[in-house]
This record gives sequence, C-alpha cells and structure tokens, in this order.
Amino acid sequence: MSKVFDIFKRDVLSSTRNTLAIYMIIVPIILAVVIALSAQGLNDTAVKVAMLEDDTPEHIEFMRKYAKVELFNSVNELERRIMKRDEIAGLLPKGDGYEIIVQGNEPEMIEVYTKTLSALYELGVSKEDSRSEIYNFNRHVPPVKKMLVIMLISITIMLAGMLISFGIVEEKTENTINAINVTPVSQNGFIIGKSALGGTAAMASIVISIIITGFYDINWLMIILVGVSSLILSVLIGFLQGLNSKDVMEASTGVKVLLLPIAGSIAGYELLADKWQWTMYWSPFYWAYKANDMILSKTADWPTVLLCTGLVLVISLTAYLVMMPKIRKGLS
Amino acid sequence: MISVKNLSHSYNNDGILAINNISFDVAKGETFGFLGPSGSGKSTTQGILTGLLKQQTGKVSVAGYDTMKVQNERFNKIGVSFEQSNVYSKLTARENLKFYAKLFDVPTRDPDELIRLVGLEGKEKVRAGEFSKGMKHRLTFARSMINNPELWFLDEPTTGLDPTIAATIKDIIRERTASGTTCFLTTHNMYIADELCDRVAFIIDGEIVLIDTPKKLKLQYGQKLAEIEYFKDGKLITETLKTIDNADKSRIADIIKNYDVQTMHTKEATLEEIFIQVTGRGLA
Repeated sequence: MSKVFDIFKRDVLSSTRNTLAIYMIIVPIILAVVIALSAQGLNDTAVKVAMLEDDTPEHIEFMRKYAKVELFNSVNELERRIMKRDEIAGLLPKGDGYEIIVQGNEPEMIEVYTKTLSALYELGVSKEDSRSEIYNFNRHVPPVKKMLVIMLISITIMLAGMLISFGIVEEKTENTINAINVTPVSQNGFIIGKSALGGTAAMASIVISIIITGFYDINWLMIILVGVSSLILSVLIGFLQGLNSKDVMEASTGVKVLLLPIAGSIAGYELLADKWQWTMYWSPFYWAYKANDMILSKTADWPTVLLCTGLVLVISLTAYLVMMPKIRKGLS
Repeated sequence: MISVKNLSHSYNNDGILAINNISFDVAKGETFGFLGPSGSGKSTTQGILTGLLKQQTGKVSVAGYDTMKVQNERFNKIGVSFEQSNVYSKLTARENLKFYAKLFDVPTRDPDELIRLVGLEGKEKVRAGEFSKGMKHRLTFARSMINNPELWFLDEPTTGLDPTIAATIKDIIRERTASGTTCFLTTHNMYIADELCDRVAFIIDGEIVLIDTPKKLKLQYGQKLAEIEYFKDGKLITETLKTIDNADKSRIADIIKNYDVQTMHTKEATLEEIFIQVTGRGLA
C-alpha cells in the first residue's frame, strides 16, 4: 500500500510541474465558479417593468410586489432602457389609464403579465383576494443550475480519465514502465497508484464544485459513492488510451471520445420520453446522471442510489473484464 | 545465480523463434557476458530473465526464483540497467532515485552517494529532462544499484559515454563484482566484454554457439601470430608469421639474423575476431 502511495506522490509532484495537468485539475473549479456567478441570472425569472419616478407612490409600490421595477426621470430615458437587449416592459401614464411600451421582440408573456398587473391595480385587486390555494412541493433548486452542476460532475469524471492517460503516456514515452516492472511493485499496485491522482483530483474537484455552486446540504456520502463508482470506467479508458497513444495530444483526443456517451446520456435522460428511456440503460453515465440528479434535488433515497450505483458498477466491471487483458499486456 | 534450461521464445507464436533452445548457467559472483549482434536474441533472453517478457518454455531460475511464477519480491535482489535511459524527466536526479528507493523492501543506498559515484555530483537538484543523453544513461545506471542488487543485469552499460566516464562505469562494475555481485552483461562491444567478463556466451540467430572464458577462447581460436617490421633494400617490410608453424619460426629467425628489425610484436586474437571466426558474422 505504501508503494501505491509513493507512486501517487510521484504523480502529484510531476503534475505540479506540468501546466496541462494543473489546468485539467483546476478547470472544473473555474467552471463551478462560472456556474455559481451565473446562478442568480438562472434563478431570476421576475418580469422587469420600467416606470417613471413621478408615477404615484401607490402604483410603484403595487408593481414592486409582483415585478422588478426600474425608475426613470424622463420618457426618453425610459425608452432608451426599453431598447436595451434584455426583456423589460415600460409602463407610462396615458390619459386615465396606462400605456405599455415594449421593444417588440420580447416573449408575449412579458406584455401580458405587465398588462394583467396594471389591470389588477386599476381594479384594486391584490393576490390576497384570490381563492386559490397553493400546494408547494418544496423544490428549491433551479433546474438549469442543477443540470449544469451534474454536467460539470460528468466532465470532471472524464478529465480524470484524461489525467490518467497523460500519466501513462509520460511513463510510456520515457520508457519508465520497464523500470517499474523490475521493482517489487505489482502490476495491480501500479494501476491503482497511477489511477490515484486522477481519482483524487476528480473527487476533490467534484466536492469543491458542489460547495462553490451552493449545494451544501445534500447527502455527501451518496454523491461520493456515485462519483467513485463512475470513475472506474474513466480510469479504464484513461489507461487504455494512455497505452495506445504516442503522445499527449493523441491520448486527449482518445479520451474525448468519452464525451459522446456522457453527452448522449445527459441528453437522453433530459429529453427522451419515459417510454424511450430504456434505450440509455446501457450507459453507466446515464445511471450516474440519474443518481446525481436525485441527490442534488434532495429527493434521493438509498435504495435508488444503490441501484443506480450498482448498475454503474456492473457495466463498468464488464468493461473492466473486456479491457483489462489489453491494459495488462500494454503494461508488460 | 542464473540457471537456464532449454529456453525458447516466439513473439507471435508463429514458429519463428527469437531464441531457440538455449541453456546456460551463471555462478554466484560471476560476470557473464552475453554477446551478439543486433537481433541475435540478447534482449529477448534478458527480457525473460528480468521478467519483462513472459517465459513460454524451458526452465529458468533467477536469484533462486522460478521465473514462471510471479514473485515480485525477487526484484529486491535484482538490479537492471537498461540500454535506453529511462528516468522521469520532470523529476530531479535525486527525486528519481528517492522514488525508486521507496519501491524496494530492502535497505537502499543513499541517492546522493550514487549520484556522486557516477560523476553527476552537483546535479542532484537538476531535473533529468535537462540532462544530456550520457547523463541520463549514468542516472539509469546509478538507479540499477539503488537496492544493492545481488544480481545485476547490465545492458550496454557504456554505450554513448565518453571514454573517461566509460572507464568510471567499468571501474564501478569491477568493484561491485569483486565484492560478490553477480553480473549479467549484455553487449555487442567485445572490448568491454573482454575487460570485464569471467565468461562469455556468443549468441547468434537465437542460438548460443559458444560459452567459455575470454582467455580460453583466445587460446583456442587465436593463431599466435608475430608481426615483424624490418628494412630490406632500404624499404620497410612488414610480415605476420605464425609462432607455432615450423616454417614461419625459421623465417622469423632468418629475418632477425639477416635484416635490421624495427619492431616485433606477438599478436593476440580479439574476441571480435574470434566471434567472426566462430559465427562467420560481424557484430554490427
């Protein structure tokens, strides 16, 4: 075990002197920051309304309850604001009523919503007058943000494979595998040692990315379990590509092939009708995505997570049995 | 220390044998030279002995371990210096040796001491990627001693080194073998084999054609010649004559008696000449 750790430490040391490896380790964290920073925009679905400052305080107050209100001191300024790229409706007093100004390319909903709010104000009606009851499923996670984070987890898993393949390419081009083969280190020990950097970096990136994007109160044990199980396939492909590639560029191209089943699995899960979901059951990334989706939504239960993880493991281990002889031969 | 019986190997299992039914033994403390041209089967044999190639047939014992069985602990007793240097270019010389030292289960040598030994003192903190080809080769050679091996495999240990460094490497090999290390030296350089080996084996086309000590081979295959330079009618004449042939012996006596002899040397056959004589081929 100590030899495995020594191989891991060597890889860490070597990676700190390799710009590409450092980039691959930190890129998921940068993407997580980008998701976190754009999350507010993803969450914000409020309608924006531009009004004049000299409108009645009651009207401004009423509109502020149901929309994001921006105030302007002249009609010209308000119109300039309307002409900007985002979606905002102008509400100007006109005669006894109001005039709604739009750019023309907004969704119809913006116009209708502003008109409805205006009508409710004119009628003196508020939401408290409604007889509708609200039933809340208590889903607080924005779906787009959640999807982006799960995609980030999948990309991180792929980057782990790439990192491993780079490590193997380094060993191959420097012919150091032969030097390792004449030490007491077993082939399994070498494989585990060489996988450790990719695996550890990926798990650390996943944990940091989830924290950065604000999903603190999820079941961490579940997310780690799903992460570790989905790493197996990435490790195998990393090894295989590393052994079959002449240089880093060839290895990275090969590992990028992983993007296809990953993207296909995400698209299949999100877009396919229920009756066609079975077409994605072959993909371990589908099951990992499904499990991560439930975990980040906080709707996951242990039996379902264990079932998804089990399926990821079964598919990955089947791939392991197919690929391992080639990997062992390549390491000899 | 090494016992090889009826060893054959085919890379593609197609009946074409890289080595064909070879047998030999290497005694403890012996320096055994395995000599042959490129493609003769030297590397295949060393590959099987070091466990880098899977043994297919025959019976091989290395440092007391049966090579058919996977026993990684045997490498604690073995050191291997490769012909092509293989060190991590992103690690310094010291980091390279420290890393390998940790992979063994036996007491290891001080990396800095080994670095000094091969003439790389002052380069401990320099990354191997910045080394010249010769410096990398010396680092690879130093690494092969990290575990104080009982059995030392050396593949072309002086290739690409300048004569001064090559002499240092040969001195290190002599010192270690004098202290009891068994050495299996693979080379096509007959001069280094002649200088270092107790016994040599000639391998060609995957078959061992001869095993003996360099001295006995020279006695057996050398022709015991004398080269004489003398002046005759104002011209410098050179003649090479056999010292065991009666007619040539009389001719030598005649030259000494009648002419002004400038130089006279006995000439010993080199291992290379013997190799060509025995196998009919050169070593290139």
